[in-house]
Amino acid sequence: MITLGMDIGSTTSKCVLLKDGVEIVACALAPAGIGTDGPVQAYREVLLRGGVPEREIRRKMATGYGRKCWPPADGELSELTAHALGCHFLLRSARTVIDIGGQDAKVVSLDAQGRMASFVMNDKCAAGTGRFLDVMAGILKRDVDELGGLAAQAAAPAAISSTCTVFAESEVISQLANGVPVPDVVAGICKSVAVRVAALARRAGVKEAVFMSGGVAQNAGVRKALEDDLGVTLHTSELSQLAGALGAAVYGFQKMSK
Amino acid sequence: MSVQIVLEKFRAMAANPKGQLDTYFANGEKVVLVAPVYTPEEIIHSMGLVPMGAWGADMALNRAKEYFPAFICSIMQSVLELGMKGAYDGASAIVIPSLCDSLKCLGQNWKYAVPSIPFIPMTYPQNRRGDVGKAFTKAGYERVIADLEQATGTKFSEEKLAASIAVYNEHNAVMRQLDEALATHPEITAAQRCDIYKSAWFMRKEEHTALVRALLAELDAAGGGPEKIKVLVSGVLFDSPALLAILDELGFQVAADDVAAESRQYRTDTDPNLPPLEGLSEKFSRMDHCSVLYDVDKKRVDLIVETARSRDAKGVVVALAKFCDPEEFDYPLIRKACEQAGLPVVLIETDRQTVNYEQAKTQLEAFRDILA
Repeated sequence: MITLGMDIGSTTSKCVLLKDGVEIVACALAPAGIGTDGPVQAYREVLLRGGVPEREIRRKMATGYGRKCWPPADGELSELTAHALGCHFLLRSARTVIDIGGQDAKVVSLDAQGRMASFVMNDKCAAGTGRFLDVMAGILKRDVDELGGLAAQAAAPAAISSTCTVFAESEVISQLANGVPVPDVVAGICKSVAVRVAALARRAGVKEAVFMSGGVAQNAGVRKALEDDLGVTLHTSELSQLAGALGAAVYGFQKMSK
Repeated sequence: MSVQIVLEKFRAMAANPKGQLDTYFANGEKVVLVAPVYTPEEIIHSMGLVPMGAWGADMALNRAKEYFPAFICSIMQSVLELGMKGAYDGASAIVIPSLCDSLKCLGQNWKYAVPSIPFIPMTYPQNRRGDVGKAFTKAGYERVIADLEQATGTKFSEEKLAASIAVYNEHNAVMRQLDEALATHPEITAAQRCDIYKSAWFMRKEEHTALVRALLAELDAAGGGPEKIKVLVSGVLFDSPALLAILDELGFQVAADDVAAESRQYRTDTDPNLPPLEGLSEKFSRMDHCSVLYDVDKKRVDLIVETARSRDAKGVVVALAKFCDPEEFDYPLIRKACEQAGLPVVLIETDRQTVNYEQAKTQLEAFRDILA
């Protein structure tokens, strides 16, 4: 049985085709989210890669902030549930999931069966989210994907506020004006995100194994800063960014199997 | 009257306080505004004045920022915003209690921002129990009485207060009865439940009591509805139409509440055997289970767990009004106690200025998945 999960976020659209709830047939990621043709692109791409005729897909589940805006969906689920299922699929021993997405951060506690036991989300603030990194990359005239590599070159991370993106922006400019090397500023930016998310994780309760999903999981600088702050090893996967879509496909399979 | 007709009356009242205010003025009534959280409404009522709740409204905050910083309770800000924009024009006075730091600021700012409506402070003691606490509360009530007499030209009498206390005790009792009844009626939506409680702030209590009684009679005859996921809701306010619509859309039933603007108001009666003003002070000394009523034992936390269990609630939804520090202080204790009792908790941040509760919807959807 083929099921499909579509995760429409604020900056990207992710799609996963799943066979019998256990085998990933194909994945696709379009760098465009809600209000764009990103979902159409991702859907088209995943069908092409999977070589699966559309009629063979038994259930299409949508998740993410744009989950209501994708007409082909047979149903929808919250991204918290989707990430919990997706991360459990990728790491069976995961008990804590940290998901830093484009506009929010979430920490989900899983029980031994991989079911979501509780969760916390960030408040209405860009600090501690992917948007924060986007803004900072913009100030530095760098691509957001470069930040992890730059942070690795840092000698001493600069102090950047974790309270507010707007305050942090002026702090970054001040640090650069004071001649602080760019890698140190970037490491400070990553640490700023990590401090904020670590506090969120502690509110939820950190139990190992800790798995990181969402787009920011690709950022080695934030991952390292989070590991240092929490004192745990963070597990990731090359499919971390697709965990929500994967979870939606798993959910679709579970629904059809009942 | 059918259930729906009675509910429509509550909705019309809850949705249009300005219309109700204008009706009072058209009838030649004098209206005294009562700010959150507890005010001696019985005194105002006994003086032939209409006490009318002033808990603000969901709106953009602009003028209030001339007096308030950004990081302060948006409920207080919206009360001042409405005052500055003339929504309360014609009211004879506003009574603002001293029960939290934001309320103290509201009172002080009101004097300058809305000089046309006299500010009457009600200063409550932090240590409200014992003779000294009760005497302090009574002195506060006496100040309110003196200021009301000056602002409205009406006279206070203990006999009339005794009669008003009876009206309020009766209303408390019927609201407690309503709370129990609604727990067995999942067909009453969260939005409709809120309308019933909210309308109480804008109606004379004797009229509200009669309407609630009519509803209870209709509910008795109507039977129940399909089961929903029962939750207890907690917070200072839980009246955002957008948030209530989400609860209803996702199939939640508010089986009980620990909301300051709702059930917390009706938990304690005044002893009718005491001299009226002393009775009112003694009532305040016994009030409890609220974030703004000082309690080192935080018995409120246990009450939330006990109430949720007794109503068979599957979880607790905490609506934390930004930036309500008394509620923020209680939240970690509530969460810990609920988790120890096996009751999942979800925290939703609310704000009078919020127009989009999409993030809250995501949280509540996930919460429903956990409870299911």
